[in-house]
Amino acid sequence: MEGSAVAVCEILKYLIIHWKCETAGTSKGALLEGQLVISMEALNSKHQENTLHCVTTIASAGSIYGGLVLKKFLKEIQSLLPGFSAKLNWTSEEASYSQDISGVTPFQMIFEVDEKPRTLMTDSLVIKNFLHKIVMVHPKIKFNFSVKVNGVLSVEVFGTKNEPTLNLSNGIALVISCRHYVSKPKFATAELLCSRIHPVLGHPVMLFIPDDMVGMGLLGELTLTPAAALCPCPEVFPNQLNRISSVSIFLYGPSGLPLILPGQEQPTTTVFKDTSYFIDWKKYHLCMVPSLDLNLDRDLLLPDVSYQVESSVGDQSQNMDSQGQTLLLFLFVDFHSRFPVQQTELWRVHTLLTTHLSAILMESHSAVQDSIQVAMDQALEQHHQATKDLQKFQASLSVAVNSIMSIVTGSTSNSFRKICLQALQAVDTQEFGTKLHKSFHDITRHRSLPYCSCETKQQLLPEENAEENTEDVQENSLELLAGTSGQVENKRLQQGLEETRAFLSARGPSQSEAAACRTKPTAASLTPSGSRASPGGDLEDSLWQREVSNLSEWLNPGPEP
Amino acid sequence: MAFAPMGPEASFFEVLDQHRASLLAALRRGGGEPAGRGTRLASSSEVLGSIESVIQGIITSVARNEAPAFTIDNRSSWENIKFEDSVGLQMASHCTTRKIKSDSLKSVKKFALILKILSMIYKLVQSNTYATKRDIYYTDSQLFGNQTVVDNIINDISCMLKMPRISLHILSTSKGLIAGNLRYLEEDGTRVHCTCGSTAVAVPSNIQGIRNLITDAKFLLIVEKDATFQRLLDDSFCNRMSPCIMVTGKGVPDLNTRLLVKKLWDTFHIPVFALVDADPHGIEIMCIYKYGSLAMSFEAHNLTVPAIRWLGLLPSDIKRLNIPRDTLIPLTKQDQMKLESVLKRPYVTCQPFWRKEMEIMADSKLKAEIQALTFLSSDYLSRVYLPNKLKFGGWI
Repeated sequence: MEGSAVAVCEILKYLIIHWKCETAGTSKGALLEGQLVISMEALNSKHQENTLHCVTTIASAGSIYGGLVLKKFLKEIQSLLPGFSAKLNWTSEEASYSQDISGVTPFQMIFEVDEKPRTLMTDSLVIKNFLHKIVMVHPKIKFNFSVKVNGVLSVEVFGTKNEPTLNLSNGIALVISCRHYVSKPKFATAELLCSRIHPVLGHPVMLFIPDDMVGMGLLGELTLTPAAALCPCPEVFPNQLNRISSVSIFLYGPSGLPLILPGQEQPTTTVFKDTSYFIDWKKYHLCMVPSLDLNLDRDLLLPDVSYQVESSVGDQSQNMDSQGQTLLLFLFVDFHSRFPVQQTELWRVHTLLTTHLSAILMESHSAVQDSIQVAMDQALEQHHQATKDLQKFQASLSVAVNSIMSIVTGSTSNSFRKICLQALQAVDTQEFGTKLHKSFHDITRHRSLPYCSCETKQQLLPEENAEENTEDVQENSLELLAGTSGQVENKRLQQGLEETRAFLSARGPSQSEAAACRTKPTAASLTPSGSRASPGGDLEDSLWQREVSNLSEWLNPGPEP
Repeated sequence: MAFAPMGPEASFFEVLDQHRASLLAALRRGGGEPAGRGTRLASSSEVLGSIESVIQGIITSVARNEAPAFTIDNRSSWENIKFEDSVGLQMASHCTTRKIKSDSLKSVKKFALILKILSMIYKLVQSNTYATKRDIYYTDSQLFGNQTVVDNIINDISCMLKMPRISLHILSTSKGLIAGNLRYLEEDGTRVHCTCGSTAVAVPSNIQGIRNLITDAKFLLIVEKDATFQRLLDDSFCNRMSPCIMVTGKGVPDLNTRLLVKKLWDTFHIPVFALVDADPHGIEIMCIYKYGSLAMSFEAHNLTVPAIRWLGLLPSDIKRLNIPRDTLIPLTKQDQMKLESVLKRPYVTCQPFWRKEMEIMADSKLKAEIQALTFLSSDYLSRVYLPNKLKFGGWI
């Protein structure tokens, strides 16, 4: 039996495909823009023990959905979810609605199911991850997702509107803020000098469809475009050698829809079980094993496939404190046709990919392998170059410091030595040397690296640059929020929940009202995951957090890195 | 007389003596050459103080949380060069500079190497020992990479501190040779007696340190190539044309050879002539002795001898002497580019005869080595060509 999660995801996929087809005629290649509200309200079932009766509502705004034929929609959705026990209802325009700040219009779709609490929890995590994946390639789509269980409300907003993106050719744009992909490094005082990933796009390759699937009647061709990037940017650890510790692979299909539902059994990805099937890791002196981390409850974007570097005994003794870098690989499968692509055709393509991706990729193994390898080579070349450059920098600074020390310690001029020591507030030459070394590293940490062009726009279209550019500065200044002020964010969320509970308890619980999102998303929805809706008003807070995070370093100066 | 007369009669040198007289008159008119112009020799304490001042500046920058950088004159830019007839090429007073930053990947290594060599100089001066540029390179050849890096940094430091290399206790390896009527004492007291025979003496490493120079030479002949120099030695040219001095830098001259030529001119004011191949490379070498080089323009006052005259081989000699055409060599593309470059240099404008000779070469698109004269006879150079040139004033 299919659960709520599958239903929600399939409905969202259907809506987005429909939306894409509707806009293809008018503004091909433009990013989809809009807002969807998903809410799940669950109460203890009156008929079954240890079961929750859950009402799920999906609502949207905007006239774009005017083209949706209701009966056809319901029928097609029902046919997609044959195992779904709930009935899908469409609230008519005359149904009650409330005008809240989320701007939800009368368009609503509701279904009700009975679920075990554990299933509901899993479903909500699956939906969260799915929404997160969508907004990572549709930065102008926003989701308000709320879960209310026996009156306890949790709200999250998923949106990446003001984040830097990399435009791709098929009307989607990959968000390149690195905090979606990897948690903040362990060094709490490390400033994120570069908050982006720098994807390298591989050349698109055509995918051949296996013979037994040819009869699906597709009037176009499938292409795969890989993109590879290291995360975080090598610049994040300017004074530290980086190693690659893991690989995360993300699979997207046409219209920028995730091909995999997280947490499910994945026959689609069997081809990736062989870590070397598409990528020659020996070339990079790496040995990869599939990662078995199945934890859905994480704030980061959940990869569809992940590998870990198998470290030898020798390696374990080195870089124990180093988090290492993650190699990100995005595989974008798209569908191209000379004819206007119909929604049904696009849906069939999606179905084909979600069920037979492995077979399709295997059919075009050589071409896919070449394309991925080229993208990886370039992405890792940056890593190698960054490592070499860092070594060169460290070696040069060491020579400089030693030379200065040689002169200062060898000088017979009392006044000269005194002036030097006083300048760095050192009591003796040993302390002077330590401080000199540290000062040089601190000063030169903000050097620019040729391959890290974070000041420049990452392949953004010119008309989109102005707004993004001015907000980048704000964005960068807030990036410390992600790690150092995580506790503050959680506290803020908690405050939001309490406010919302207080608000809702005053009104009394009501299933019909559950769909109306009465929470205050901007106040209560700042979670470290996908919600980066509006950083503006928190600039002062972030600067304060930054000062506080440095305070511990001033009070307790530790050994040099 | 200091040396037994072996050369031609006194009348042979009439024109030379007249030339010398005119040179001395010109010097007197110009107010003479005051000693110590340009980069003067600095005392040890001055050098140490100068280096400490540089280090202090760096530490001050670091204390202010600013990435330190060296500001260095662009020695190799023509924009920063001015020409003065009495000196040659020298650095302009307000010249463009470049920064060697410590926080730039492109320049951090050079920044470190400058400090490294400064610290080595500091130790040399403190301990009153000397090292050659080669010695410095070999202290850590892996770090420096190649000799050119060391050479350039030493020149940059010399320019930055405004002190000659010798004050920094860095010697350059001499490759030049001297022969002829010359005696002197080296700094360590070694007596050197250059002979007129078939052997030559190496140019000393410490030119500033030599003293008690004694000579009767009527002229100083700078020979471009070692092969020509040896040929003249074999032909006993120094005896036949005694008293005279011959010097070769074996191609592009090293610093010590140039310093020696300068010292001999400053001390004796005898006519100095250049014997170079009739090709752009030879002309450029002659210009280095006479007017200086771009790279060492900051030390022009210590190195240039504007009084040098071009004795041969002149392009006009080729036609005049009917040198066989098949001994001539066509100018290569590089030759033509170099010739064009030399013609554009500021000093050529005040040397119309040189310009004319270069234009003859450019028109004919042919060049000739001095060895082409051997096609006339094997000892034509030492027995006929040079004696005639010297006797009858065949220089420009």
